[in-house]
Amino acid sequence: MAEYQRHPASFRDPSGFVFFANGKYYRQVNQSYAKNFELLVSSGLYSNLISQKFLVPHEVIDRNFGLSDDWYKTLLPQQLSFISYPYEWCFDELKDAALLTLSIMRTSIDHGMVLKDATSFNIQFDKGRPVFIDSLSFEVYDRTKPWIAYRQFCECFLFPLLLGHYLQTDMQKLLTVYSDGIPVNIASKLLPIRSRLSLSVWLHVLLQNSVGKKADTKQTATRFTKEKLIRLIDHLQSSIKRLHIKSSGRTTWNNYYDETILSNQYLEQKEIIFRELMSDVDVENALDLGCNNGYFSKIIAEHQVPVVAVDFDGPSINHFYLSEKNKLPSAILPLCIDLTNPSPAIGIHNDERSTFLERAKSDLVIALAIVHHLVLSKNIPMADVALMLANLTRKALIVEFVPLSDPKSQQLIENKTEYHKPYDANAFELCFSDYFEMERKEIIPQTDRILYRMKRKQ
Amino acid sequence: MHYFLLYIDPGSGSYLVQMIIAGVLAALFYFKNMWLRIKSFFSKSKKSDPPNDSSNG
Repeated sequence: MAEYQRHPASFRDPSGFVFFANGKYYRQVNQSYAKNFELLVSSGLYSNLISQKFLVPHEVIDRNFGLSDDWYKTLLPQQLSFISYPYEWCFDELKDAALLTLSIMRTSIDHGMVLKDATSFNIQFDKGRPVFIDSLSFEVYDRTKPWIAYRQFCECFLFPLLLGHYLQTDMQKLLTVYSDGIPVNIASKLLPIRSRLSLSVWLHVLLQNSVGKKADTKQTATRFTKEKLIRLIDHLQSSIKRLHIKSSGRTTWNNYYDETILSNQYLEQKEIIFRELMSDVDVENALDLGCNNGYFSKIIAEHQVPVVAVDFDGPSINHFYLSEKNKLPSAILPLCIDLTNPSPAIGIHNDERSTFLERAKSDLVIALAIVHHLVLSKNIPMADVALMLANLTRKALIVEFVPLSDPKSQQLIENKTEYHKPYDANAFELCFSDYFEMERKEIIPQTDRILYRMKRKQ
Repeated sequence: MHYFLLYIDPGSGSYLVQMIIAGVLAALFYFKNMWLRIKSFFSKSKKSDPPNDSSNG
């Protein structure tokens, strides 16, 4: 009997569901969705979306894995290397996902269909670009009706983007709490008064907040038209295109490598050693913890290895994402993750969206210049840092130890009377030796910093 | 207010909003077009009759 498991997040849509069998993810199409599914293909919408790389391509499999009574077809979608969630994306990732959703909606209308779902969880990132993954979200377009998923689109995309734009700060994290999207009443309370001068805020937030509460019984009396729907989608599109977050704003981190007192020479030396440590590593995927501007992620990507690059600093990740966007396809997926508070398991049964640590396990993990931040500023004991990195690493770890004598460490403990002691290379090696075998140890010239390559003990 | 929202179909409340938004956008589109027409009318007449304009100054 083949291993068969329904995906814990795939239960909302009666049109079908995702399941896992024989090491792959499949999607069952139910009989109730047959008509829409056939139209998706016969209208030419499917091939159009595939040719534009908007939708993840699938292969139709003639096998009823779960012996379901409602079975119509089984789809084997192109498998994705990593699943990320909207609350882990930077501003421009969410913006690109929103624009993709609208482009798909616009293309669908031309083929006599619409998107019945506009949740941001239907988007994933593949080779640096957003791609729509739910091939069962399309339904026959009724020209007399407005967009059924309009409110969902606003809550999942428009409101967090408007908040990010007007407050100039990452608001995507709010989507962890409001995973179905930020409710309109919350968005309208959080938006600053000056935002009310904007037509899109006035129409989609304030108007929706006051009118949307009323159940409207007369909805069938007035007919919507295709022209009106297109105008609405185009307006959402142009409004979102105008939203941006300043990447020039200097945070503590987004100029870390440019301004660090150790500067260029340190970086050059570190790169030489890093390249050498990487040269004989045989891995299929990698995770860069505290990636900053992605300097070292890019070196890993040169080896054609897909990299998930994380940092808790939103502007750095946004800057990194935009720079990678200029040279697609990219093997790097930048995400905003705070390692001291990684994405939790949420949703029904706490099982709908899995934790970051569960998803992020990788063959190669690199943790450059972050251990001292975790131990000295975040007060996380060295043993816990070692355990966290061990839980994430399948094969190899490249980690940098920044000793107390380093000016950056001194800066961190400057105003501290207490921190976890002993904090030195011996203590570091002792903690990591519980889970790893030391393979290489290189001191970065003209510094006291040490780069280690370690092999995960099985 | 939240209890009330629970009983509204996700699509239904937004239908009325979309009707109004579509109306506002249609009106704006109409005025924008009219403005462009007026602008192009005057810019044409300006081009065709430049000496008059300078003599007024």
